[in-house]
Amino acid sequence: MKKWLLVILVLIMSMPILSACWNQKELTDLAFVMALGIDKGEDDLYHVSFQLVNPGNVSTGTTGGGQGLPIAVYKSNGRTITEAARNATKEVSRRLYYAHTNLVVVSEEVARDRTLMLNMLDAFARDPEFRTTTEIVIARDSSAEEIVTTLTILDKLPVTKVTKELKFTEAMKGENMSISIDELIDGIVGNGKDPILNGYQLIGMKEEANKATNLQKTTTDAFLSADGLAVIKDGAMIDWIESKKSRGVIWILNKAKSTDITLKWNGKKNALSIVPIRSKTKVSPVFKNGKPVINIKIENEGWVSEANTPIELMDPKTIEKIEKLTEKAIKKEVQSTVKEVKRLKCDIFGFGDVVHKANPELWKKLKGDWNNNYFADLEVNVKVDSYVRREGVRTNPFWSDINK
Amino acid sequence: MEKAKISGFQLFVLIVLFEMGSALLLSPGSEAKQDAWIAILFGLAGGIIVFFIYYRLYMYYPDLPLTSYLQKIIGKWFGKFIGFLYIVYFIYIASRVLRDFGELLTTTIYNSTPLFVINTLMVVTIIYGIHKGFEVLARVCEIYFGVVYITAIFGMFLITFSGLIHLGNLTPILEDGLKPVIKTFFKTTLTFPFGEMVVFTMLLPFLNDKKKAKIVCLGGMILAGINITITTIVNISVLGVGLFQRSTFPLLSTIGRIQIADFLERLDVLFMLYLIIGGFFKITIFYYAAVAGAADIFQFKNQRKLVFPIGMIILFGSITIASNFAEFIREGTVFVTIFLSWPFQIIIPSILLIIAFFRNRKKKTSPA
Repeated sequence: MKKWLLVILVLIMSMPILSACWNQKELTDLAFVMALGIDKGEDDLYHVSFQLVNPGNVSTGTTGGGQGLPIAVYKSNGRTITEAARNATKEVSRRLYYAHTNLVVVSEEVARDRTLMLNMLDAFARDPEFRTTTEIVIARDSSAEEIVTTLTILDKLPVTKVTKELKFTEAMKGENMSISIDELIDGIVGNGKDPILNGYQLIGMKEEANKATNLQKTTTDAFLSADGLAVIKDGAMIDWIESKKSRGVIWILNKAKSTDITLKWNGKKNALSIVPIRSKTKVSPVFKNGKPVINIKIENEGWVSEANTPIELMDPKTIEKIEKLTEKAIKKEVQSTVKEVKRLKCDIFGFGDVVHKANPELWKKLKGDWNNNYFADLEVNVKVDSYVRREGVRTNPFWSDINK
Repeated sequence: MEKAKISGFQLFVLIVLFEMGSALLLSPGSEAKQDAWIAILFGLAGGIIVFFIYYRLYMYYPDLPLTSYLQKIIGKWFGKFIGFLYIVYFIYIASRVLRDFGELLTTTIYNSTPLFVINTLMVVTIIYGIHKGFEVLARVCEIYFGVVYITAIFGMFLITFSGLIHLGNLTPILEDGLKPVIKTFFKTTLTFPFGEMVVFTMLLPFLNDKKKAKIVCLGGMILAGINITITTIVNISVLGVGLFQRSTFPLLSTIGRIQIADFLERLDVLFMLYLIIGGFFKITIFYYAAVAGAADIFQFKNQRKLVFPIGMIILFGSITIASNFAEFIREGTVFVTIFLSWPFQIIIPSILLIIAFFRNRKKKTSPA
């Protein structure tokens, strides 16, 4: 009798545990937010766009057949990000789930406003569901909503297009780099390095961007493209660095891997194209008369990808000359970038950090006025070592054989 | 006292898992900023010195737990009183650690689940474990030691191959000199986690080979200390000083950043398993010490009767000790360190040692 009672008691007590998790969320009740677009609405409110994935339409291979679009975008307003997120629940039939948010697009207006910019970052960091490794980009010449509503042709989910694109262009061209919210916050908080953000443009007919008809053409009417870097000083964006100059920034930050360098040869323009495949940058400080001097050493290795002029590529001396030309070109580009950034008075290269780590006592004196004063007058020396290892599968270019 | 015997290796793994338990969760020493790892190494050295106090007391009374030799050294009633205070201390620390792990789960993944429910599940499991006896616990610990180590090595690999470690974040080393490090040492890292070895004074009599005691305990402390130091170094190198100080659970933030091959992401949950195992053992050991101590002081022949009531006290205690997380942490850093850890871990045992020393000298020199 007693044993029976015990068994029944145990069975009853295990029921609460077996009835499934308290925090349970059914998969069909969730709306996966893939991207967030943050604009400035009226009255200084945040105008947030949520790009939700429509899972059924992602896999069946119907690209804009008119039936199912892979994404749906909902918008809401709020004084804080949390308020906007909760207001959105009035429009979406499911619970918004942020664990897969891969991209946050911020409009330039919001980025230039310090309060608006900083007020949204804590919401991202504090929420355990949101990943702080998400990419963050600034929308250029368009609103964040326009970028988030754009449909793309090669990738079903536009979000993957943006994140993958940033990753590949960082590795292949070196004018933009992947920047996560973590890095942004770290940069804003620390005083040795200011953060940068990628710019993204919606090029083409903006009204067509969110229509399925956009996908029915081989060249879409509107498409997204990475463009330039934004410099963030004191928590707000101050200026753009155009793509021509942004490569230098990525080089100094040691994130550039491969890119293309166009050289003149014998007076002919665009004669050679050298592609470095590996690149390493070392930034080290030396101290002269109590002032820091930054030495940048860039080392890269590459091959000749194009030779548009008669040239003896099989001659090691020619290769040496090419190497020297490459070094000069890189040095010139990096130096002009440094000059441009110094003009903006914002240390995005992390030179302050480098000085801090090498000489903490000196840094204590300099850090108060680093950006405006010491950084603007900083002496920066650039030394480049380029090695051209091979020339692809042709020896001398056919140009050498024309007119023979 | 239970008639249980554990081997040297079992005691070793108990110490390692116990020390690493909650130290990996909240990062001790974060006030020293990027020198936190130096503060932990200091804590290890200090902890070893304090351990020698416990060891010497053990050598004087090898078969008696703390509560018994308290009575022998300072008299029956006074000894029982201090022993009772120790039991309350162990129960309090057990409920603190339980609260810690409940907060971890509630903050990160189970946002809507009430703390009480999570804590109950943990306590029920521990009650079952303790009911089975100390030998069983030691054997379970042996198994989990392997699990924990494999997870730790796996995690270390993933972090390294994600390219997340920037050793430059550890510089400048000793930026503000040794003073902040020493301040942190006295305020935190000496008593947490290394000073908590005091609980092993209740458990050392279970060791089957007394000669191994010194090597096993020191080895366990050193291994745990090195592990905690390495974890702290990794945390600082991955997160940077600012984020390291701002994170509630730095190790979780570090694990959250692992991204390999586009699919190994968000492995937080795997590491929560690891942390929960550590928490389980820590709570169990404090809980067991309280039970054994109470059985000793109040002369219970069957200590199993005490397991359930003390478990309930720990459970309800974990809910009531603080109304919110901020209060909980503040209590830990201010109240516990000054009023509890230092007296119970260092001051009282030192006094005991001195008295025991004189008593035993008198015994030797006094004729028959």
